[in-house]
Amino acid sequence: MFLFANATIYIGLAIAIYSLLIITFGISTKNQKLINSGKGGMIALFVCASLAMISLFYLLATSQFQYEYVNDYTSSELPIIYKLTALWAGNAGSLLLWTFFLTLYMIMIAFSRKMKGNPMVPYISAILMANGVFFFFILGFVAKPFILLDTVPLEGKGLNPMLQNPGMIIHPVTLYLGYVGLAIPFAFAMAALILKNVDDFWIKMTRRWTIIAWLFLSLGNIFGGQWAYVELGWGGYWAWDPVENASFMPWLTATAFLHSVMIQERKNMLKIWNISLIIVSYALTLFGTFLVRSGVLTSVHAFANSNLGLYFLIFMGIAVILALYVLMSRYNLLKRSAGQFNSFVSKESSFLVNNLLLVGAAFAVFWGTIFPLVSEAVRGTKVTVGLPFFNKVEAPILLSMMFVMAVCPMLAWQRSTVKNLRKNFTIPAVLAVIGMVLMVVLGIQKAWAVIGYGVIILLLITHFLEFYRGVKARRKMTKETPIVALYRLMIRNRRRYGGYIVHLGIAFITMGIIGSQNYDLQTMKTVSLGQSIDLQDYRINYERLDQKKEGINDIVYADVTVFRNGKKLGTYQPEKVFYGNWEQPSSEVAIISSLKEDLYIVLSAWEDDGKATFVVKVNPMMNWLWIGSFMIVIGALFAVWNGKYGNVTPRYTGVRKEVS
Amino acid sequence: MKKNTIVMLGGFIIAGAIVFLLMAATPGSSGVELTMKELLATQNQHQDDYVTVEGLLIEDSIKWDADKIELKFDVKDNDGNLMHVIHNGTKPDNFSEGVITILQGAPTKKDTFVAETVKTRCPSKYEGKDMKDYDPETHKAKLDQPPKEE
Repeated sequence: MFLFANATIYIGLAIAIYSLLIITFGISTKNQKLINSGKGGMIALFVCASLAMISLFYLLATSQFQYEYVNDYTSSELPIIYKLTALWAGNAGSLLLWTFFLTLYMIMIAFSRKMKGNPMVPYISAILMANGVFFFFILGFVAKPFILLDTVPLEGKGLNPMLQNPGMIIHPVTLYLGYVGLAIPFAFAMAALILKNVDDFWIKMTRRWTIIAWLFLSLGNIFGGQWAYVELGWGGYWAWDPVENASFMPWLTATAFLHSVMIQERKNMLKIWNISLIIVSYALTLFGTFLVRSGVLTSVHAFANSNLGLYFLIFMGIAVILALYVLMSRYNLLKRSAGQFNSFVSKESSFLVNNLLLVGAAFAVFWGTIFPLVSEAVRGTKVTVGLPFFNKVEAPILLSMMFVMAVCPMLAWQRSTVKNLRKNFTIPAVLAVIGMVLMVVLGIQKAWAVIGYGVIILLLITHFLEFYRGVKARRKMTKETPIVALYRLMIRNRRRYGGYIVHLGIAFITMGIIGSQNYDLQTMKTVSLGQSIDLQDYRINYERLDQKKEGINDIVYADVTVFRNGKKLGTYQPEKVFYGNWEQPSSEVAIISSLKEDLYIVLSAWEDDGKATFVVKVNPMMNWLWIGSFMIVIGALFAVWNGKYGNVTPRYTGVRKEVS
Repeated sequence: MKKNTIVMLGGFIIAGAIVFLLMAATPGSSGVELTMKELLATQNQHQDDYVTVEGLLIEDSIKWDADKIELKFDVKDNDGNLMHVIHNGTKPDNFSEGVITILQGAPTKKDTFVAETVKTRCPSKYEGKDMKDYDPETHKAKLDQPPKEE
């Protein structure tokens, strides 16, 4: 097994190098046979990665502790699902997962029906294959998943209990799928440039890929946030930690890219910008990995591994320099035949503003993340910027973005006249202002909240009108019932309405963020048995402190009965779990959730006489975050779903070459 | 002027605004990361700063007042410097002799650090190392060092 597993990695590396060389050689000599051989290599590579995955799954499932990785991350009493998912608990395994996804995507592209006979394929394959070489090199020489220990331990060290949570099963997988996914549009863009195709074929071809990568990145971040909320017991979901920022930055630039490509399609503008965005997004996925794995920044939850990050940094450097070189050498081609803005008030300009804001937001995150490094290099002291910095900077950007989002659907392409502006905006604007006044009267008086919710009201109304007008126009022609009309309207314009659903999801998330950031309440109190804690409308009666045993874990728990405005909500058990094979206990919080707010109870400490210290928080509107997240998923899936209508394969009009 | 140029100008204004926002937000919300030695030497200068400092916990010094929710303890560094810490909150998990504590707060009183947050860092936390082998001695070497592969 040891030989076999390692063989998959090293043979994989050899195949990857061979395929890369043979494809490059095939391109330069225009020899179709060589290219085909390289494509065969791709399948072999996928087989290698799959076998390596299967081997590691097998070793983990059967608890073969003589393997370092199995020993480090699992123990025999672990439920089988966590034994398997321990594959991405550590460095080497998660890189293997990444590699596997990369090879999977690779063959999906190279053998896709739509790309058959397309001269871009060899170039794309070569670029992706270069990534493959890098990852197999890392697996073979830096982070090896299959290392035998000198002695065979009787029992493994166990999986960190914090990772034993359903959120942790999916969070890394989705994030990696997103990271890898961004390599596809990058490879297409580069291939198009090398072939001197400056049309938007590559964008149309990769749109679905980009949205899927974007969806997975969003999911990764959302699952991460939710995991932090239920598992870490600090009551928040986002802390602007370098690791979080690392996955947020490519998300922002990918979002910008998804919007600005629409201008290129319509107006043939912003070509250089789009290519730069996709280069940046791709580079940021590698840079993020560098940050997370290198230990250059103080983070509580970074992987501790120093030289792996360096390899990623070097690889990123090479990729970016080559990409920029290709971009520069095609600069004149790209500049030619660009369109013009017709008006300042138009959809195009609102897209441009949205792009600047998104990239600005990404830059701000980047700045804050690397600031300690910069200041140490310049002034000698590590100056840290924390949560307040990010909140201060990102809040206005988020707000402006919501505003652009609210206004955009009402603007026309090309040019909006004053008359149609007035027609489109009077009702939403008046309603939004009425809403803001109402909020102030009803007691919501924090400036951020009022402005924020006002803008969201505007957004909800403009989006509603967009659906309403679409249905109305359709019914005029077809005389369908409203529901049928809405359904047909949406499935015939998947991209557009999918996008609107995503916008609504973002609006809900923003509502949740504004609510939970501005109106959260927290109290920490030590109470004796029978006493109670009051917070807002809640009364928490502390009734019992006890301990129980679950498997090899000892659990200390408190029974608390919660009342809201005198009405009993039920009895809950915040616990602290002491693990049999893990020194550090962890808190299991009790969360009572409703649309309005979450009550979040943590058992922090207790004394011998039965006194216990609780942290109790009220987090308003948390559920809106999760509802919004769900809508993002629905919207993105709706947009990429293979529909009957308007789903034409874009025609390739670029350069013809002999090989494909 | 062409409209493209004007649109570009508008873009620059937005970009400028974001950069301005960055510049404005940086000093107010930043803090400094110091070693204990530096902090003790320059305490007066940093009274109003938000300081991040690391120290090794002395377990015997922990005093926990449950009713007031006040945690007092001492940390030391490898040169024998000692600092008192007050934290209005509960003990973090894994609070044992020699563990590296990451403190964030301000050194308001002489030799006393008022910590808003107390976190512990064990370099092996996410690396699946056996906590039973936890050795206070090895952690001394890691004080003020970024986590490294062992």
